[in-house]
Amino acid sequence: MLELDDVGFRYGRGQDILRGVSFRLQRGAFSFLTGPSGAGKTTLLRLLFLALRPSHGAIRLFGEDVTRVARSDLPPLRRRVGVVFQEFRLLDHLSTFDNVALPLRVMGQEPSSYARDVMDLLDWVGLKQQAHAFPPVLSGGEKQRAAIARAVIAKPELLLADEPTGNVDPVLARRLIHLFAELNRLGTTVLLATHDQGLFKQVRAPVLHLQDGSLRQL
Amino acid sequence: MSASQRKPGQIIPKEAASLRTLTATMAVMCYLACLAIGALILINQAVDNWSKGLSGEVTVQVREIEARDIDVDVAAVLALLSETEGVVSADDLGREAAEKLLEPWLGTEGLDALPVPRILRVTVKPDHPPDYEALAQKLSAVSPGASLDTHRRWEDQLTRMAGSLMLVSALVLLLIGGSAVAMVIFATRAVLDANQKTVDVLHLVGAEDGYIARAINRRFLSTGLWAGGLGVLLALGTFLLIGYAGLPQADGLAAASQSLFYLPGERWWITPLALLAVPVVATLLALVTSRITLLRMLRTLP
Repeated sequence: MLELDDVGFRYGRGQDILRGVSFRLQRGAFSFLTGPSGAGKTTLLRLLFLALRPSHGAIRLFGEDVTRVARSDLPPLRRRVGVVFQEFRLLDHLSTFDNVALPLRVMGQEPSSYARDVMDLLDWVGLKQQAHAFPPVLSGGEKQRAAIARAVIAKPELLLADEPTGNVDPVLARRLIHLFAELNRLGTTVLLATHDQGLFKQVRAPVLHLQDGSLRQL
Repeated sequence: MSASQRKPGQIIPKEAASLRTLTATMAVMCYLACLAIGALILINQAVDNWSKGLSGEVTVQVREIEARDIDVDVAAVLALLSETEGVVSADDLGREAAEKLLEPWLGTEGLDALPVPRILRVTVKPDHPPDYEALAQKLSAVSPGASLDTHRRWEDQLTRMAGSLMLVSALVLLLIGGSAVAMVIFATRAVLDANQKTVDVLHLVGAEDGYIARAINRRFLSTGLWAGGLGVLLALGTFLLIGYAGLPQADGLAAASQSLFYLPGERWWITPLALLAVPVVATLLALVTSRITLLRMLRTLP
């Protein structure tokens, strides 16, 4: 599913942000990625959702070497990966409904074909009432759930989440973790970046620890 | 379900200040293009009129020569002309008309004493004109003071000048088109910059460059149409104002402007077609330029 081999990254000629990172996620796995702030978690995730290309080493995603994939072949790969961004990255000019439907829309699906699925998912994450509200009026927790709904609407094979519980209270955090566990049970491979140690107790899963750009498995 | 009945929101938000600026400047460009096109049509028409009007007419000048009676010479020349193949009619404009022609240079006083040449206006068949060389020889045989002026020299000069003017108009059109392309490129960059966050998210959810380009490109369709329409309306207003408002400052241009709306016979469609082409070309130019720019710029993003 996902395989990293001696991956290194730095911006231009700057310092190494990641060094010799190697790990492997089997299909259907659930894994945490942790480490102190500034350890390179976000950079590693950016490499995984193909927003950056490694300066060194190889990344294989769905059996393809993404360091060699042509730019025009990236969209089909990205469609198989769902991403929850730390800062949500919802589009303020689109309603919650349209934000969540975005991945389906860019695949060319018509509203008539996806409206039901989107509403069902919004119901599931408790945002049905806010379907036609716009992100600026949503609370932090609501934005978080909308971002998660957008990440999973197209039933991705791999779900990457960057601090998905960073902005919510412990009760909601627990609910969201259950949501990820549920998705994982349905077959999605999940990699969850967090520095919230409390989450590890809720789901028994391997923890990848990133420190100073290097990885070790706990 | 209510959600399915709602129209999905525009992926690229409508309010883009740079597009409003582009619409305004493109409208000005379209206006200038219409004026240049108007000039092109008018010059073309004028050349046509001149060459038709002048080549239907030639002039014979009979100078007074010592020891000869000019009236006899004029009569002989008229007789020769009336027998010449291709001549429709020949009139002596008379001494008074000739004096009138000289008046601006010599004034009215003392013209009586001067030997004033006589002007004969000769109408010829435009499609079967006489053999001018043979006619000139015969004329000098009949009267040594007679000379033939076919206006060819004037006509050639006017045509050459008109040709240069048309070239200038065409160049102006080309420059306008070039500036419009540059403006569209700038505006496209500005729109892409303003929507950077949206474009990033679209890329990350798996949108292809073509999809993003289309979403942004749609904004340029209305820009082109509005700008073109506004430009044409402004130009029509200008032509009407110059042609019919009776402005003293636009005296010389009034008839020209009017004639834009009344091209002769089978050519009436040229002005409306040319003006209609402006918004079409402006829109195509905006669409194609912005699409190429977008695809190029998107290719540089991760």
